[in-house]
Amino acid sequence: MRVAIVLLIFFYWSSVSGQNKPLLYNVDDLPQALLQNPGARIDFTRHFGIPLFSQIHVGVGSTGVTAKDIFEDDGRNINARIQSAIRNLTSSDFFTINEQIEIVSFGWKMGERGYFSAGAYQEADIFAYFPSDPAKLAFEGNADYINRPFRFDDVSFTGEVLTVYHAGFNYKMDSKLTVGGRIKLYSGIFNVESTDNDGTFVTNETPGGVNFYQHAVNGLDIVVNTSGYASLRDEENMTVDKAAAELLSRSFFGQNIGVGVDLGFHYRVTEQFSVNAAIQDFGVMFHQKDIENSRYFGSYETSGLQPLFPELNPGQETIPYWDVLEEELDVNLKDEKTYGAYNTWRPLKYNASIQFGTGKSILPCDYLISKKPRYMNLFGMIVSGVNRPKGPTYGVTTYWDRKVNDYFRFRVAYGLDQFSLTKFGVMASSRFKNFNAFLAVNDIIGYTNLANAHSASLQLGIQYVFKDL
Amino acid sequence: MSIQTFFPRFIAGLLLLVLFTSCFKDVDFSQTEDIQITPDIDVDIIYYDLNKVDFLDSDTGEFTAIIRDTVRLEYLDDSYIQDGLTYAEFRFRHENSFPYEIRSELNFLNARNRKEFDVNYIIPAGSDTVISVIDTIHIVQGSNIDEVKNSIELAVELELLEPSKSLEGNLKFLSKGLFRLTF
Repeated sequence: MRVAIVLLIFFYWSSVSGQNKPLLYNVDDLPQALLQNPGARIDFTRHFGIPLFSQIHVGVGSTGVTAKDIFEDDGRNINARIQSAIRNLTSSDFFTINEQIEIVSFGWKMGERGYFSAGAYQEADIFAYFPSDPAKLAFEGNADYINRPFRFDDVSFTGEVLTVYHAGFNYKMDSKLTVGGRIKLYSGIFNVESTDNDGTFVTNETPGGVNFYQHAVNGLDIVVNTSGYASLRDEENMTVDKAAAELLSRSFFGQNIGVGVDLGFHYRVTEQFSVNAAIQDFGVMFHQKDIENSRYFGSYETSGLQPLFPELNPGQETIPYWDVLEEELDVNLKDEKTYGAYNTWRPLKYNASIQFGTGKSILPCDYLISKKPRYMNLFGMIVSGVNRPKGPTYGVTTYWDRKVNDYFRFRVAYGLDQFSLTKFGVMASSRFKNFNAFLAVNDIIGYTNLANAHSASLQLGIQYVFKDL
Repeated sequence: MSIQTFFPRFIAGLLLLVLFTSCFKDVDFSQTEDIQITPDIDVDIIYYDLNKVDFLDSDTGEFTAIIRDTVRLEYLDDSYIQDGLTYAEFRFRHENSFPYEIRSELNFLNARNRKEFDVNYIIPAGSDTVISVIDTIHIVQGSNIDEVKNSIELAVELELLEPSKSLEGNLKFLSKGLFRLTF
């Protein structure tokens, strides 16, 4: 009966709403679970990651368009497809790329109840909303959009490359509650941010006015903040390869720093049922070095140039109307570079889940370890999200996690999120003696044809995980 | 094979199969060479609203039948016009309440002050109660598009024809251009 209820909940929630790194969440024998939730319940006593290989994560996504939407080989003109895509995408659609590589990772049990873990990883995160109106203006022009304002607040993007040093502590308060926290020191390598932009451009028909139209830029205010960029740009003979090499050379000690925390808990409501939640990267970056910020702002209206038919003597030049216009533009629509420090919030990630276990077992190889019985089948649901400039992205994932034996477990998951309504994922984790390897692939249907996928993500890693007495 | 060894191998095999067989199907990325950006820019050009004062000499107060002015259109020399312009559609509209016919000349001149193309017509006479309107569309495309690309100035000339009656009235002019660009 309980299994039936769990399955009912499983499939009910499967049809409701989904995102993140859910395939590693709550996997109690993987140290990566502690990076997702520092208060996770864990099942190991020491771990040591193979440097640079203990976790490699890549995730890409696009909510509104796939490669096939643009490049489909169907004989139609690609420009018609691009125009169709631009018209269908909205300013709420977004593109995201997230990459993480664990540089070092280690941890060990401290006392009877504690577990200390620490390490460093490099992360790149790019997130951009589709600049719908500016894209329409650039690709189609204003002719089909008379009287309709183009909004510059559609321009919203962030990008950062940083190294994260972290140390966390996981503590079992009692048999039910486990809590944990992680302190993070961010070392910023590169950052670009342009959010909270404002302003419109509109071409209005003006019946009875001085001319056919009035072109107006109203309340333009676009700010692009960068750190770690100016020095790259100013470098002579800089190429993409050189820039990438320079960024890598900054990996360990970037020029800007930040601090943040992860917090989480796991609570066993009953022996079989548990709830847990965590936040990651509640933190801020202080950009103080290698700063270059650009601001474009102002308002201006024009209906064209007005010749005044001055009385001129022979050889005398007329009024330089164009120069006057340019001067007015310079006065009213300004751009400026500033070099002041700025702060950015890290994209806060949050996860919350419920989990129900069935198939109680004390595995033979573990019977000497004083720990609670395990459940071989775990059914769970994770609500996850990431804070972004225009609000959180979110998703729900349901999973069946099967511990085949103490050396192998797998998880199959189904999720819904802003990218896809059919997000199937598979995770497998295998342990040979103390050597662990895991591989998680989300949106597995998408892998059959990446051109047609709205998102794809992959995590893999190898490490030593010890389950000592 | 025991179930304990079957499952790990099956799952690992499945994942590796997915990863190594994943690919981009039914797409042709070489189409990127065919991508064109084709904005249509609709923009005001010049305007004026003249009355009798504009036809009187400011020193002597004498009537001047012909007035003229020249406006530089620097954007016609910008790279996006020079590289991308394929079609230009000009619209000129005169609203005349002077009780005379007026000859209008719109001459697009190049950097050497030579005429590339022109749009000339006679504006019918109007009155206080009936405004005479002449609305003209002039399209430049194909091999003639260089006429626009080579232009840099718009010379405007107006002549009141047979000004024997009252000088009361207005001449209003509106103009815009639709520029079709292809990159």
